[in-house]
Amino acid sequence: MARRFVAHGEWNLMPGSMKSSEPTLAVAGEGERLSLEGVLTLPTLERAKAALEHVRKQRTSRVLNLSKLSALDTPGAMFLCDLRDKHVELVGLQPEHKALLELIGGLQRKVPPKSPAVARWRQLVIQLGKGADNVWRDSIDIITFVGRITSAFGYALTHPASLRPASISRQIAETGINALPIVGLMAVMISIVIGYQSAAQLRRLGGEEFMINLVAVSVIREMGVLITAIMLAGRSGSAFTAEIGVMKAREEVDALHAMGLRPIELLVLPRMIGLVIALPLLTFFADMMGLLGGAMISHSLLDVSLPQYLERVRSSVELKDLFVGLIKAPVFAFFIATVGCMHGLRVSGSAESVGRETTHAVVKAIFLVIVFDALFSVLFEKLGL
Amino acid sequence: MSAARARRTEPILSARGIVNRFGKQRLHDKIDLDVHAGEILGIAGGSGSGKSILLKTLIGLHHPDGGKVLIDGKPVESIDAREKAALIGVLFQQGALFSSLTVAQNVMLPMREYTDLPLSEQEKIAAVKIELTGLPADSAMKFPAQLSGGMVKRAALARALALDPRILFLDEPTSDLDPLNASGIDELIVQLNRGLGITVVIVTHDLTTLLTVCDCVAVLVDGKVTVDTVDKLARSHDPWIHDFLHGTRAQGAMNVRKSSHGIG
Repeated sequence: MARRFVAHGEWNLMPGSMKSSEPTLAVAGEGERLSLEGVLTLPTLERAKAALEHVRKQRTSRVLNLSKLSALDTPGAMFLCDLRDKHVELVGLQPEHKALLELIGGLQRKVPPKSPAVARWRQLVIQLGKGADNVWRDSIDIITFVGRITSAFGYALTHPASLRPASISRQIAETGINALPIVGLMAVMISIVIGYQSAAQLRRLGGEEFMINLVAVSVIREMGVLITAIMLAGRSGSAFTAEIGVMKAREEVDALHAMGLRPIELLVLPRMIGLVIALPLLTFFADMMGLLGGAMISHSLLDVSLPQYLERVRSSVELKDLFVGLIKAPVFAFFIATVGCMHGLRVSGSAESVGRETTHAVVKAIFLVIVFDALFSVLFEKLGL
Repeated sequence: MSAARARRTEPILSARGIVNRFGKQRLHDKIDLDVHAGEILGIAGGSGSGKSILLKTLIGLHHPDGGKVLIDGKPVESIDAREKAALIGVLFQQGALFSSLTVAQNVMLPMREYTDLPLSEQEKIAAVKIELTGLPADSAMKFPAQLSGGMVKRAALARALALDPRILFLDEPTSDLDPLNASGIDELIVQLNRGLGITVVIVTHDLTTLLTVCDCVAVLVDGKVTVDTVDKLARSHDPWIHDFLHGTRAQGAMNVRKSSHGIG
């Protein structure tokens, strides 16, 4: 131990003295013999290179005296090693600089070759191929996952004891009750927006009061459920992915497997059932709040009283319109929960994959919600509902 | 050893009266600690004794409830970013490599921010630092997620060395590593200390590192710190220090030390 201490001696006291002012480096001498004086570190390296450029080019000086060098760091040592490789003789080295030079000199000092860049058009083709492949794999994954959930659900139906009511009710509270304020607010806002836009258009036709029909029908049939589903895809779908993903990353899911427990049954089913119950209820709440927003906007724009408004709503909306809206909710809930949980279980090890999978889950869930909404529209049109 | 320390006038890092509280519990109770230029200091202590908080206090990431830390004679919180980057390098426990950058880009980041070297020069320096830490050359192009635990530590060490800091702080450099990798890291620390003349502060509970690498060990017990050489600490009457240095694990590490030092 003592030996090592003597070996580096007072090495570190020297860079301390240089710090008091700007580090300086000077090249002295001429022709065959040159000497470096001062500090050869990162800040002075470029200057040293410029000053000694001709040494490397003209190959006149073959001896470099370093006895007056006060500090040297790794980039400086790299430079000196490069000079030595070009057969410049380094003399007068201080012991601690010599140790550093030996350490650096023993290395290869080569930048590894870069892999050649792929041409832009080929990158495009590759990306297109990868994208198509991803879509294909994703579709298969979703179908497989839906199959696994169905099988787990079937098992739960035949073995009701395996259902976890406490866990399901917590999910309903988390995804449903806690979302009431934001969903309600959004529904009111949306009906105000629709009200304003339609009133402005209908005024020209002299049928301003039809604004109430428009708001009521569009909120009850479409906007209520769509807004709620998109909200929950962002709020709960992402939470599912993040919660399950973190458990996957911390090997908690593996621990469940090792104990012979089924993650699908423990983690996925309660969330799925909870959301399928919560989303229709939330949708109904959003419908009511949407009608409230409609009442507010008709009162302020058309001066319609509440009884008049309700009478108008009753004549324009049928009960089937309410069911057309509500029937979509469990389907949307099923896909939001499926995509959320599936991406959570896809997380692999690292923390950054949790973030990536969450983004994918939200985008995919909203996409699926809108695609299915469009399909439902076509279906209801054909059925004449 | 004591003679070598007496020759040094001013410590490169000194902490005076550090107090850290967690609620009513005093984690650090007026700790004084000096690190001298060129030495390797180990900071040891049981789990929850506040080793990592002490390290964070020393590098200015944690503001203590009392006391001050001077690095190179200046209060640590008053040192500006550029100067601090050139003064200290830190290896975090999990490596803390930026996951969106390759190993080489990780090492080049401090250089890119604080110097105006041309890119080719930065690449060359980064390649040398990466090689210096014992990583194969092709790992420079890899992303942190593609590296094993030992390689992550080495890559993080290369980044900590990017600007040739004068003090290197290592938080648990050998934890989560297999014994071969751990002794590789130990050797590397000694080599860097000798070759580059870097002062090293290691937070660890790896007895082999403490006994074979460190010149001096600071033991944190009950909020107080005891600094001495391992040999003197072994004769300490403090029950924790005694058990720590005389347990079965310590015996094994002592044997390693004897063989590597040719009898103490």
